[in-house]
Amino acid sequence: MTFGNILIILAEGAGYTVLVTLASISAGLAVGLSLAVLSTLRWKAVSLFLAVYTYVFRSIPVLVLLFILFFGLPGIGIRISPFVSMVATLGLVSGAYLAEVFRGAMAAVDGDEILAAEAAGLNRWEIFFYIIMPQMFRMSVPGMINEFTSVLKYTPFAYTVGIPEIMKEAMSLAALTLRGLEIYLAVGILYFLIYKLFVMFFMTLEKRFRVPGLASK
Amino acid sequence: MALIEVKDLAKAFDGKTVLKGINLELSEGQSKVVMGTSGCGKSTLLRCLNLLLPPTSGRIIFKGEDITRPGVDIRKVRADIGFVFQHFALYRHLTVEENVTLGLRKLKKMKATEAVQKASHELERVGMIEHRGKYPAQLSGGQKQRAAIVRALAMDPAVLFLDEPTSALDPEMSREVVTVINKLFLENVTMLCVTHDPFLAKYISDSIIFLDEGVVVAEDIAERLFYNHADPRIKHFFMSVIDHR
Repeated sequence: MTFGNILIILAEGAGYTVLVTLASISAGLAVGLSLAVLSTLRWKAVSLFLAVYTYVFRSIPVLVLLFILFFGLPGIGIRISPFVSMVATLGLVSGAYLAEVFRGAMAAVDGDEILAAEAAGLNRWEIFFYIIMPQMFRMSVPGMINEFTSVLKYTPFAYTVGIPEIMKEAMSLAALTLRGLEIYLAVGILYFLIYKLFVMFFMTLEKRFRVPGLASK
Repeated sequence: MALIEVKDLAKAFDGKTVLKGINLELSEGQSKVVMGTSGCGKSTLLRCLNLLLPPTSGRIIFKGEDITRPGVDIRKVRADIGFVFQHFALYRHLTVEENVTLGLRKLKKMKATEAVQKASHELERVGMIEHRGKYPAQLSGGQKQRAAIVRALAMDPAVLFLDEPTSALDPEMSREVVTVINKLFLENVTMLCVTHDPFLAKYISDSIIFLDEGVVVAEDIAERLFYNHADPRIKHFFMSVIDHR
């Protein structure tokens, strides 16, 4: 078996890795954006909830949270599929980080622009959708790429709940062939390629929507 | 009937009264300038008038309707009052044209093509048409302020409020903006402008309201207020601002 063959076999698991990553990123974005929107309400109870949420989900290790959802919840009668457990875990954790990224970017939106929008007669939601959110996303690009990279790097945990992604394929192959060095080197190469593709995609997006004078921070 | 009638308007922040019973009137086609020392309440007055700041007491009658009463449609009132800010406040992620069309599409519910046509017409009016595709960061200060004026004017407001429109600009750019506002003045656009700039005040006003410590001290034409006014506060203020030019 050549190194090329190893790469091809492992690439079959790459589909699951990409799928888990994309689904987790989507979940993380939904959670992060919701939390960031909630943070604009400035209600005490909401602020407390956000503080507790970000504190808890940034401090619990991903693997522990995954095990709570997949192995723990069935104890109280809630069964979640491996895929949903993994996506929910990464969505909850990356959502906590992304909420902070979005909040920072929202704070960088010029208050005068918001005042001008108010003075023009736009309501709170229109101001968020047409003024704050487009600027927030642009300024969040570096933070989002960091977070998406972290999500990708956490996907190997999916093998612990039985998702046949790259790592699970690699472990099975290593057990059969005893060629661990080449196999895990191939895993590293595949992850690097996936990472590179993701970054290229986001950089292309960033370039497409880049606005002079509104640099990402 | 006055377009705007302000009766005993007061505004206090944390117990400190900034506006103390302001009375003023602005008729359709009229242009007035509010002047006074820093901190006298000029900008607060402007912001109270379009309800960006809720007045503490008093009444504001706009187009015959008391807009300080509960239940008034604040968004509708604001959409009918153009507001130009000192630091332009253009939306940085939008081009000049998009800055102008946003309100037309979202508030006036115009179709995109109709909004672009309207924006082009207004941009042409102030010599900004060639900058329609530029972002705010690609414009000079004078161009930014002209774009901000167009953004406000495109909504066909009943009145245009200008809050220190030239104070963030160097003299050359300031002149560029004064020319545009003067043109609006000559076209009888109803305006209420807050400024420190006597040059601007003189060329865009039917009368000047002098505010001191939250009170209207005088209202008169520029020539009578600027030179040797009987009130020492007014005389001192205009001597200092005119001498410094």
